[in-house]
Amino acid sequence: MSTAVATEPHRHATPLKDQKLGFGHLLRGEWIKFWSVRSTTWTLSIFLIATVGLVVLISLAFVNVPSPEEGGPPEGTAGNPLDPLSIAVTLAQLAVAVLGALTITSEYSTGMIRSSLTAVPKRLPMLWSKAIVLVVSVFAVAVVAVAIAMALQWLFFDSQGFSVDATDPEIIRPLVGTAVYLATIALFSYSLGALMRHSAAALATVLGVLLVAPILFSAIPWKPLQQAFPFLPGVAGQQFTQTTEQLEVAAASSGPGVVDLTAWAGYGVLIAWIVVILGVAAVLLKRRDA
Amino acid sequence: MIEAHDLTKRYGSKTAVDGISFTVQPGRVTGFLGPNGAGKSTTMRMIVGLDRPTHGTVTVNGRPYAEHRSPLTQVGALLEAKAVHTGRSARNHLRAIAATHGIGDKRVNEVISMTGLDTVAKRRVGGFSLGMGQRLGIAAALVGDPQTLILDEPVNGLDPEGVLWVRNLVKYLAASEGRTVFLSSHLMSEMAVTADHLIVIGRGKIIADGPVDTVISEATRATVRVRSPQATDLAARLAGPAVTVTPAEDGLLEVHGATAAEVGEIAAASGIVLHELTPLQGSLEDAYMSLTSEAVEYHSAALPGEESRHAGAHAAATTTGEDAR
Repeated sequence: MSTAVATEPHRHATPLKDQKLGFGHLLRGEWIKFWSVRSTTWTLSIFLIATVGLVVLISLAFVNVPSPEEGGPPEGTAGNPLDPLSIAVTLAQLAVAVLGALTITSEYSTGMIRSSLTAVPKRLPMLWSKAIVLVVSVFAVAVVAVAIAMALQWLFFDSQGFSVDATDPEIIRPLVGTAVYLATIALFSYSLGALMRHSAAALATVLGVLLVAPILFSAIPWKPLQQAFPFLPGVAGQQFTQTTEQLEVAAASSGPGVVDLTAWAGYGVLIAWIVVILGVAAVLLKRRDA
Repeated sequence: MIEAHDLTKRYGSKTAVDGISFTVQPGRVTGFLGPNGAGKSTTMRMIVGLDRPTHGTVTVNGRPYAEHRSPLTQVGALLEAKAVHTGRSARNHLRAIAATHGIGDKRVNEVISMTGLDTVAKRRVGGFSLGMGQRLGIAAALVGDPQTLILDEPVNGLDPEGVLWVRNLVKYLAASEGRTVFLSSHLMSEMAVTADHLIVIGRGKIIADGPVDTVISEATRATVRVRSPQATDLAARLAGPAVTVTPAEDGLLEVHGATAAEVGEIAAASGIVLHELTPLQGSLEDAYMSLTSEAVEYHSAALPGEESRHAGAHAAATTTGEDAR
């Protein structure tokens, strides 16, 4: 390896005038950071493949459900063509959650945060610009994933009547809502990462909240837990990925005294979680030594 | 120009930096010298706002670092070599930092070739050697073409060519371009050839602050070693307000503050037999030891046979340390 260095110690080939720290510049910097590490391409590829693959596989299972005469479920309980996407997203969201947390915790685990904060000594603009880059990127990839999944579902299963009409406004909201939900979950995970500053701690918490908590809250027959269940971040946010019709069906089967959140109310609950967590993280970022 | 006023940093009950005030002037290389744990890095971190001072202030060119509209063109800092995401290539690391200030790839390529990183710029930083990481850190500090350069132990892990390059670079930036250069080291020898001005810190306090030559000559007072069968008698005659006499071992004295000629004449005048009379030139290391021996945070156990030298350094410190303060 050559370690030759320029003999002339310093040159002014490029005059550095009117260059300053601006939010647009900051977004550009965070964009380069986001897309220049392998974890980004890995997690987003896994997310894309998982979403598309699961939608196709689950749709296959749905269309092969036996008819009621052959011992299958009664008419009308199985067969909403949006269900495969909901199930796929419940699993595939973990990939974007991991990405969201790592976006900030990897800076702490590698020491990069000190370079970042030296460039942005006011600190908070870095937190916001990183969040924006994450949300925009995940949203874009999620839109692509949903579009491919729905297109393949239409291609393979439309002949069996199992596909969604993407021109129906009643369907567009849950489809776009799925992409919005995924971007928001990435932001939720990012907020926890910013708060905890530690990859393992943040990932364990995020997976616990998104995967384990819903199972525990619904399985334990204790009223307060069941009443709190709809307000879990993942559960509330996923309301936004459902059609109004699906939500009404679900509401009809929910227990007495349990609140049924509408799509927008559910999304609002998820946003409220993020505002609180990211708010505390921002205060701590400003105060703590890096 | 960097101005620190009553700068203090405490971590819990431990005081890392204890009310220090100093000024780093533009146009010269200011060395920041002290043993491990003396508070050098903490001070530098406070200058760029990574650590919040417990009290006191520090400004760069008149205002706190964070208040500048363009921090990276004001100050370039190398605080630790591995403040880098290990999964990112060197070039992308620099591009990302530069982009926050609207600095383009052209300047990034410039600092890459300036620091000799061309061949490894596309490799991921995780596989870099200490020296390569150090070059990358210096490249990141230079990318904004800053008015003020803060380098924490910049020559750590560099090969001799790299050491020479850093030395020439900082001298050039300070002397020819009138920039402010503040660099830390725990190596006195490196400082002696690089810095124009020295600030010596120990246990969070400033021990000495002055031109390099002055700091060194004050710390290295000439010592004369004299051996005599009548050592006790001789010590009594030599001792005076400007002269300290330290008995090293049986019949051997170390005399500070008097020349060999003076010692010889006093001995002759008193009819004292001398077996040895040796003027000792103080080395840089001795100067450093005498400056900081009281202030060393982490003492190593003395090796067998080194006790006498160590004792001498300690004895010297009791006087010169006070003078310097």
